[in-house]
Amino acid sequence: MKTKIFRETEALLFTMPAVIPLLVFWLGPLGYIFYLSFTDWDFMSPDKLFVGLDNYRYLLGNPEFYQALKVTALFGIGSVIPIMIGGLLLALLMNSKLRTSGIYRAFIFSPWVTPTVAVSIVWSWIFQPDVGYANHVLSWFGIAGIGWLQDSNWALVAILIVTLWKSVGWAMIFYLVALRNLPSDLLEAASMDGAGAWSRFRHITLPLISPTTFFLAVILTIQSLQAYDQINVMTQGGPAGSTRTLLYLYYQSAFEAFNVGEASSVAVVIILICVLLSGCSFLIGRKMVHYQ
Amino acid sequence: MNMTGAGKDTTSYEPVTPGRRRSGSRSNGAAGRRDGTVTRYRLSGGTALRYIMLTVISLLMAFPFYWMVMSGFKTNDEIFRFPPTFWPETFLWSNYVDAWHAAPFARYILNSIGVGAAISLLQIINSSMMAYALTHMRFRLKGLFTGVVLLGYMIPSTAVYLPSYLVLSKLQLLDSYTGLILSNCVSVFSIFLIRQAFMQISHELVEAGQLDGASHFRILWTIITPLARSTFAVMVLITFIEQYNNYFWPMLITKSPDLQLVSAGLRSFFVEGGAYGLKWPQIMAASAFTIAPLLILFLFTQKTIMQSVNMSAGVNKN
Repeated sequence: MKTKIFRETEALLFTMPAVIPLLVFWLGPLGYIFYLSFTDWDFMSPDKLFVGLDNYRYLLGNPEFYQALKVTALFGIGSVIPIMIGGLLLALLMNSKLRTSGIYRAFIFSPWVTPTVAVSIVWSWIFQPDVGYANHVLSWFGIAGIGWLQDSNWALVAILIVTLWKSVGWAMIFYLVALRNLPSDLLEAASMDGAGAWSRFRHITLPLISPTTFFLAVILTIQSLQAYDQINVMTQGGPAGSTRTLLYLYYQSAFEAFNVGEASSVAVVIILICVLLSGCSFLIGRKMVHYQ
Repeated sequence: MNMTGAGKDTTSYEPVTPGRRRSGSRSNGAAGRRDGTVTRYRLSGGTALRYIMLTVISLLMAFPFYWMVMSGFKTNDEIFRFPPTFWPETFLWSNYVDAWHAAPFARYILNSIGVGAAISLLQIINSSMMAYALTHMRFRLKGLFTGVVLLGYMIPSTAVYLPSYLVLSKLQLLDSYTGLILSNCVSVFSIFLIRQAFMQISHELVEAGQLDGASHFRILWTIITPLARSTFAVMVLITFIEQYNNYFWPMLITKSPDLQLVSAGLRSFFVEGGAYGLKWPQIMAASAFTIAPLLILFLFTQKTIMQSVNMSAGVNKN
């Protein structure tokens, strides 16, 4: 029996270095934020007044919340889908054994390793309305300059371009791996049977790489919910809230307006969305995805 | 490419060996038809198209970096001219020197490297111990802990920054590296990654070690860890890059300029230093030397970094 107690203690010793920080900085705060969302606190006052569902009621009546919800959805769709399609197209383009594909791969992937803050600063210079390069390129085609980051119709588009630029190479690598693992005999057999390139892609390649597509969709969606750096540098949620996502609303009400209760209720909404998405992805993953 | 095509034309009257033909005129369809090997040349045409498209895309992807470096050389006069000059008229090296001295960038970069290294080191230790316990030890709370780690994979830590901030302030660890490092010292992703590698290591090795009287601790560090070396390399690189680039959380909890990491430092130079809108060449120069260490790191560790993608796909399947 002594050995059993010893074994349990030993296992605890092995897990504690990871579990304690997880409890203190993640699981504990996770519980705490649910509690905070029922209070009316401002960082300062000594006690936290319990206000029940007031914060949620306020949130549901606040047009800024709905706008943030909309921006979050637009940002999610506008980043995830182009990144995945772009990544797949690039991978298809590169897949056939090109001799120098290593160089291309490095070029296309490199933005992913660079700090978002620094590259967002560079991009905000490119998007500068008067002398920026983006408007210069548009002028080649006779298109009048766009206000980009200062125009509420275009600011989100500009941020999405940066996001796509930064992540498309990352998605491409996933698809390259997936394409390389395709069974070549199957594709050859299909082409012997007279299947054209498109139908081979549609009926063999696409279903076989669906686990990768699925994985990317989940990860990229969760990443899109966390996007902060590029928004903070380029627009700070503006103009007129057109780039204010839920996360950014959460940050602003917590650390700019010092409204802890309200901010917490926004965070709870973000957490619920994550749980919901994970649940959906679990169900879809079991039903639809074609694992080999 | 054009030049090789033209050269090929002049020599195509002589018989050409197939090998040379393939490497010679990739984009020259006319020569192909003359030789009668239509299909091969049509394929080559497709390949040429791929090369051209990939070259264009690569250049587009690299353009922001090019633009950053070149804008860093321009005079204030030149940078505000429209249309912009693609190649700087004068190379004002002093912009880089001025920017470097305008804010403590050397310090910021060293801060980022130091914090990134410390966090990577801690994660090697706690992820491998946790992963070892989850894969090669038997204990009661195993299921619970696996669940906790799984949940961590689902809910991003960004959502709990506010309460984490409050916890750090309760612990008197705000505005300190201890706080920054401790709050980042566990990564669920790293645990998963290492767990994945450890699962592939036969449990018999552990048992053999135990028969020899070795403790779990010894087995982990002398037998198991060396076998998973490549996974550790990937983990360290990814963690380091992530932490070097980290902005949101360090910006929230470190306020003194001395402690700022490079992203936060660059961002305050961009906004507060009166630089915004006025000193674009210096801002571009500063961005350039913030990004440079990572691009250099990427140059040398390309293979490992891209390998990480392969591994993280594996993480998700389980």
